[in-house]
Amino acid sequence: MPVWLRERSWRQTLSAVYLSLPLRGARATPGSIFCSEQYLKVSIPPFLFEAILFAPIDDTNSTAKIGNGNIFFTLYKKEPAMWDSLTLANADKEKLQYLRENAVLKAHEKAKEETEAKKITKQEHKNYALEATMKLEEAERKRIEDLKEKERQKVAKELELWKNQQKDADEYKSIQKRGELHQEIEPLKERKKETKNKTRIPNEGTSKTKLKTTKGCHGSCSMFSQNLKEEQLPAPRSAATIKVNFTPRVFPTALRESRIAEEEEWLHKQAEAQRVINSDLSELEDLKEDEKNPDWLKDKGNKMFAMGNYLGAVNAYNLAVRLNNKLPLLYLNRAACHLKLRNLHKAVEDSSKALELLTPPVPDNENARVKAHVRRGTAFCQLELYTEGLQDYEAALKINPKNKNIEKDAEKIRHLIQGTVQSS
Amino acid sequence: LAGAGAERPQVVSHVQQELNYTVFDCKWVPRSARLLCLGSAARGTGLVQLYELHGARLELLREIEKSKPIKCGTFGATSLQQRYLATGDFDGNLNIWNLEAPEIPVYSVKGHKEIINSIDGVGGLGIGEGAPEIVTGSRDGTVKVWDPRQKDTPVANMEPVQGESKRDCWTVAFGNAYNQEERVVCAGYDNGDIKLFDLKTMSLRWETNIKNGVCSVEFDRKDINMNKLVATTLEGKFHVFDMRTQHPTKGFASVSEKAQKSTIWQVRHLPQNRDVFMTSGGSGSLHLWKYEYPAQRSKKDSEGSEMGVAGSVSLLQNVTLSTQPISSLDWSPDKKGLCVCGAFDQTVRVLIVTKLNKI
Repeated sequence: MPVWLRERSWRQTLSAVYLSLPLRGARATPGSIFCSEQYLKVSIPPFLFEAILFAPIDDTNSTAKIGNGNIFFTLYKKEPAMWDSLTLANADKEKLQYLRENAVLKAHEKAKEETEAKKITKQEHKNYALEATMKLEEAERKRIEDLKEKERQKVAKELELWKNQQKDADEYKSIQKRGELHQEIEPLKERKKETKNKTRIPNEGTSKTKLKTTKGCHGSCSMFSQNLKEEQLPAPRSAATIKVNFTPRVFPTALRESRIAEEEEWLHKQAEAQRVINSDLSELEDLKEDEKNPDWLKDKGNKMFAMGNYLGAVNAYNLAVRLNNKLPLLYLNRAACHLKLRNLHKAVEDSSKALELLTPPVPDNENARVKAHVRRGTAFCQLELYTEGLQDYEAALKINPKNKNIEKDAEKIRHLIQGTVQSS
Repeated sequence: LAGAGAERPQVVSHVQQELNYTVFDCKWVPRSARLLCLGSAARGTGLVQLYELHGARLELLREIEKSKPIKCGTFGATSLQQRYLATGDFDGNLNIWNLEAPEIPVYSVKGHKEIINSIDGVGGLGIGEGAPEIVTGSRDGTVKVWDPRQKDTPVANMEPVQGESKRDCWTVAFGNAYNQEERVVCAGYDNGDIKLFDLKTMSLRWETNIKNGVCSVEFDRKDINMNKLVATTLEGKFHVFDMRTQHPTKGFASVSEKAQKSTIWQVRHLPQNRDVFMTSGGSGSLHLWKYEYPAQRSKKDSEGSEMGVAGSVSLLQNVTLSTQPISSLDWSPDKKGLCVCGAFDQTVRVLIVTKLNKI
């Protein structure tokens, strides 16, 4: 139950009502006052004061002053008239209720209107600010444009001046040239005239020769001046050729020619090859762990090759191939063994197989490819298929042009071929 | 960067001329306000157009059409009176034209098997001494030096060794022509090779590889003891080499700068100030640079041999004129700051760079 505040004192003038409400210690805030046209409420829990005013007031302009333990209201009447009392005397409950609700509604509407109005003004302010900044920027831009334009005009004027200077200079030069030419022609003409007079050629002849001489004069004049110039210049250089080498393509090359794709393919293939195990387990069960590893077998084979045990090496490689037939190096080394054993056809086969597996051709597997070509070439030559052999040697040279041995051998084969061609 | 009120040089666009053909090269006619545009028409023929600067526009004085598209041209080897134009075309022909009588060339030779990418001339225009010579660099990997007085055969030929795969030569430049005998040719190739050929001793004097294809090389002056060489490459880099001191193994000292994200098509030094140069880029932009020399241009290395010290490069101004690459650039030798550039958007622009006196 709220505690009603009943003590209040009021006085009035024709246009305003002054209401003083003591608060009895309660602290009032602006939020505790609610006022509409005909309804006034002060609520400071637990205290409550409400009044249905005698006549409507202008609640927007009315004020309330909080201080000194009381609230002092200054209410401006809508219609200037003297009130009989502050509140409506015969206010029954329903009317009270109705008025209250009305008041609340009205207050709400007012609040809404106020916020609307605020929004609109805010918007207007924003627009104004925007326009102002735009104007400023526009001004700045224009200033810069003007400066640039001035520069441009200044420069254009200078250009015109310079151009006219050039024209004048040109004309002057051409006049000078003509003058010089005349000067050169004059003495020559006189000399020619003298010779003509001396020879006494008949009239027709004279006219013809006259024409000729003048033409020839002109020609000789220009040649004359040019000859002078040419003597000042050195003679054309004696022709010579300089041979150049270009930087070899090292990976990574000029990025446009990067071989990244191929390198990747090669690495991928190698990785795959390592993983392949085409083993026939039944036969190989009695082999030791080591002997099932193709790399270990390859090493064994290499050692045996180095010691000269070619058959043993071949056996090792054979077993390794049975375990993993995707390793190009196995075929490569086996080819070398076959060469030593003079199994030339087998050597060719193995080298070919190695080359097949050594695709795509990348700098990584250069050495291996060179070896494969050389071995196959050697086998061909020993089979007296010299042209095929030479082809392989040249392929090897192409991959590695700096190897002197391959070059020498290639030369030898070429000679051999030429020798056989000549003899046959 | 482009402060209008600052004391930096400004690049002012004076005239813009739309063309109806692809322009590959543009050159000022010496001692005049006329310029030439060389290029390729849509129907596959070559075009030479002569324009004159009239106020704020270009007036077409003459148009010459030839059978093959023209890639490059130079006035470098001709005298001031004759002003003959030497051109290289898409078919590998080197021709020298008298623009007053352009029906028949004054000199013509099928110098190369493939397109002539770049041409330079020296010994003419009253600059320097020695015989007038023209150098051409072609896609067939060879660089040939011609003397207009000798028909059909070049006076020097720089070609790949027999059997070697060839690299396209993209650019050539003369330099070191300070007396009658001395001369060098610098050539840049598409794999990043730069080679310096000495024509007096007929040998390769220096070579290096700067990784990316070399689009343009130029000495700061052709007619002095070689001082600086600028080489521009793909991917927006350029190198400035100090050519005064050659180390026996390390070659020439250099400083490099990455200017733009795209190819730098051309470098051109200002004829009136050899430390200022402009680079043109694939993004349609122009950058104006200034080179500053170091306190000491050479120093001794650990073994006592002299090696050069490179200086530094600073950007004076940059401007974007087009969306297409600016493939050709030429400063006027007569008016400081006047330059012409041609871009692949079929436009040729005359620009004026101001405040160059204050650098």
